Amino acid sequence: MASKIVTFVLNGRETEVMVKPLTTMQVVLRDKLGYNATKVGCKEGACGTCTILVDGEPMLSCLLPAEDVEGRQVTTLEGLTPVDGLHPLQQAFFDNYATQCGYCTPGMIMVAKALLDHNPSPTREEIVDALSGNLCRCTGYEPIIRAVEVVAEGQDSRRPAMAERRRDKEIVR
Amino acid sequence: MSEQNLDVVGQSVKRRDGIGHVTGKTVFVDDLRFPDMLYLKMVRSPYHHARIKGIDFSAAEKVPGFVRAFTYKDVPKNIYTILCLIGVGPDEEPVLAEQEVLYKGEQIAAIVAETEEAAMEAVAKTRVDFEELPAVFDVEEALKPGAPILKPWGTNYFVYEGHDCRRIRYGDIEAGFAQADYIVEGRYQPGPVEHAPLETTACIAKPEADGRITVYTNTQALYFTMDNTALILQVPFNKLHFVGGTVGGAFGGKVDVIVEPIATLAAMRTGRPVKYQFTREEEFHVSSTRTAWRIYFRDGVSKDGHIVARQVTSYADSGAYNRHTPYAVTKHAANISGPYTIPNVHVDVHCVYTNRQPSSAMRGFGVTSASFSTELQMDKIARTIGMDPWEIRLINAYRNGDIRPYQKVVEDATLVEAIKGAAKLVGHELPKWAQAMNSWDRGAATPVTVEG
Amino acid sequence: MTTKAYNLPESLDEALGMLAQYGSNLLVMAGGTLAMPLITKGVSQPERVMGLRRAGLSYVRETGGSVAIGAATPLTQVVNYKGLPLLPQAAHNIGGWAIRNMGTVGGNLFAPPPAGDLVVALLALDASVKLANARRQRVVPLAGFFSGFMANVLEPDELVVEVQVPRPQGDTALLKLGRLHTDTPTVVGVATRIVWEGRKVKEARVALNGVGPYPMRARKAEAMLVGTALDEAAIAAAAAAAAGECEPFSDPIASEWYRRKMTGVIVSRALAQVAA
Repeated sequence: MASKIVTFVLNGRETEVMVKPLTTMQVVLRDKLGYNATKVGCKEGACGTCTILVDGEPMLSCLLPAEDVEGRQVTTLEGLTPVDGLHPLQQAFFDNYATQCGYCTPGMIMVAKALLDHNPSPTREEIVDALSGNLCRCTGYEPIIRAVEVVAEGQDSRRPAMAERRRDKEIVR
Repeated sequence: MSEQNLDVVGQSVKRRDGIGHVTGKTVFVDDLRFPDMLYLKMVRSPYHHARIKGIDFSAAEKVPGFVRAFTYKDVPKNIYTILCLIGVGPDEEPVLAEQEVLYKGEQIAAIVAETEEAAMEAVAKTRVDFEELPAVFDVEEALKPGAPILKPWGTNYFVYEGHDCRRIRYGDIEAGFAQADYIVEGRYQPGPVEHAPLETTACIAKPEADGRITVYTNTQALYFTMDNTALILQVPFNKLHFVGGTVGGAFGGKVDVIVEPIATLAAMRTGRPVKYQFTREEEFHVSSTRTAWRIYFRDGVSKDGHIVARQVTSYADSGAYNRHTPYAVTKHAANISGPYTIPNVHVDVHCVYTNRQPSSAMRGFGVTSASFSTELQMDKIARTIGMDPWEIRLINAYRNGDIRPYQKVVEDATLVEAIKGAAKLVGHELPKWAQAMNSWDRGAATPVTVEG
Repeated sequence: MTTKAYNLPESLDEALGMLAQYGSNLLVMAGGTLAMPLITKGVSQPERVMGLRRAGLSYVRETGGSVAIGAATPLTQVVNYKGLPLLPQAAHNIGGWAIRNMGTVGGNLFAPPPAGDLVVALLALDASVKLANARRQRVVPLAGFFSGFMANVLEPDELVVEVQVPRPQGDTALLKLGRLHTDTPTVVGVATRIVWEGRKVKEARVALNGVGPYPMRARKAEAMLVGTALDEAAIAAAAAAAAGECEPFSDPIASEWYRRKMTGVIVSRALAQVAA
């Protein structure tokens, strides 16, 4: 069984790994490189928790052989986190309760990042459409959509929580 | 005491683990790696009901990376009765199957190997000699004479204090029906539901230099799981150190203590860390689900909308084993008459075994099925007698001081206020007699015939 | 996983050469959305795998009379392609964004039923597929590509290299019924195209997926529409014919009964959309 060396740029850093044939990026990132933010949910491309960006496009690392990213730019959630503080999407997810158990969060944020890079002012429908490949079992999705809207609208995501509750009451009607 | 003076009550409090979640730094069980870690995969029954005649590991043992196989003989106390800690029996589920399997997917033997692939291959190469037995999948079929018997005590139901079901008896049901102007019947069948957490059930058991075992787990119930594990392994509780609390979704699906005992046993016997994580297929096909129910209502209702008699026969599909279902049945029985005051109540709730995936806890288990069916039944009553669905509920709403069918005095009713609040929120105007009601006034609701 | 070799050929010739050399011992994949889950879980244990991401098969080329789409073109590219009706919507009916970035046009031909959300639209557009081995190429109508459940006319040494779509005439409609609004398995999918002669139907295409061993044309329904004015009666008759001639199956998503019933409903709605 011939192992190969694969070279790619991971979160801005040139990275080299030796892999057996068909080793997935999910395994490379987590088990070989210790980058745990990218999650394991189903290993069949159905849940989205393993989403990474390859040349800025969302892909499912559980379906992606490492050899296929030779020479490409790979971005994971670790690559979004600045040295100090949080990326605006991370701050918005945190402030808007868009994360509960936390398991879908990395995938959601990566897709949201790709969306906003392509389309800085998405409509709610476009946000929902972009996130449709990512499942969440905890939040009911609304806080996640709201968090992305907040960043898209360029709002300060540190809004007072009482304003949120008043807005939620209107939705009931 | 005004809101501005409080730091937590009435304020939005950010999650302590929120930063970890949004940066991906929160550590889940699968994020832990130990250099000499072994992987556990389970040999499972492909049959719904079968006798085990023998197991042959010879081909499995030849798989490169195979370390060890465990059967029920290796388990110090092979009894998996997770509610034994609160005195609920009987002991009817093994940790690893002995002579018989009762559901497709049941655990038979644990294989531990150097890699996940090797463990999977060894499982595939384990030969189990089965004698297939007839199976039953329907709760009512399982109670009929001639159905295959699943339990060692000779029946397919859980015994509640000598009875074949959980019973509520209040008033005189036949007298109640005799008074009724309408009889309204209904059958409701909430189906089984899989919790489908994004993170599958998992643990890693790791022997430590001081002789203890650290168990990293995503169980919802650390002490519960630790204590059950210790009882199964027959070790003092303080030999185990359970680390957890980070759960990638559970909703009741991670209270079954299903991975920790066998992984911990394997760690103890091999001296190495052992990881046992459910695949997505196992999470769907093997892990417990919300209980499926079949619920029959027969209500006697007077012309003015009072339910004067309620008879309910419910069947809970516990699947192959108890798990938490007998407890769900008790809760269901208590709640099935609804938040309504009914003078004559007759409830039988059966906890039935079938050759299906065991059902267990899931948010509000036992009660959600009661809420679902009672409320559909209320709507049906309203339609049948030609009454407004808001009003039928107000007329029958329980009040403080009323007696529940299980003989408890109501102390905390606010149903009337909740209904009134809901009506206001959606802009529905209730008649004046309803608006005048409250939960402390035990006088009968007196609708006047003229809408007002 | 027992795979001993994984190759990413950098040209079609190289890919065909590998296929000629290894034949049916070589598992071919493009996007990986169908093959990788099976390999990861040990259901499929190929010794050799060939990936087509780098073989130069990702393109959309407009020629005079038709559009040629490389077999390894990701579905996202089709979503964004404005030059043909039905296809952007059909491609968007598949999975979520990441799946569409990985899954390919050619791959959809091999997706097990009830899949085939792109194929059903290609059928309504009279698409053909170009097949090639190391010696020669041939073009086969897509409607003749499938021969049974998970079976097709591909030879062991052939690859699907291109899908060809003639510039279509007429009015089209596409509807997919699923349990959810998006990223959902198909209960029934309908693609239809009507070519008019005056106020009468000159040619009709009614393609179905999710209700048979492979995506197929509802030939009886099509024949019944020709010569009609696509009025309510004609639509009702064609919808009933489609429901009768399809071969649905039961799966965890939907029962055979429901699929057949919904075929009638969705065909009706699709034709009504065209008529409007």
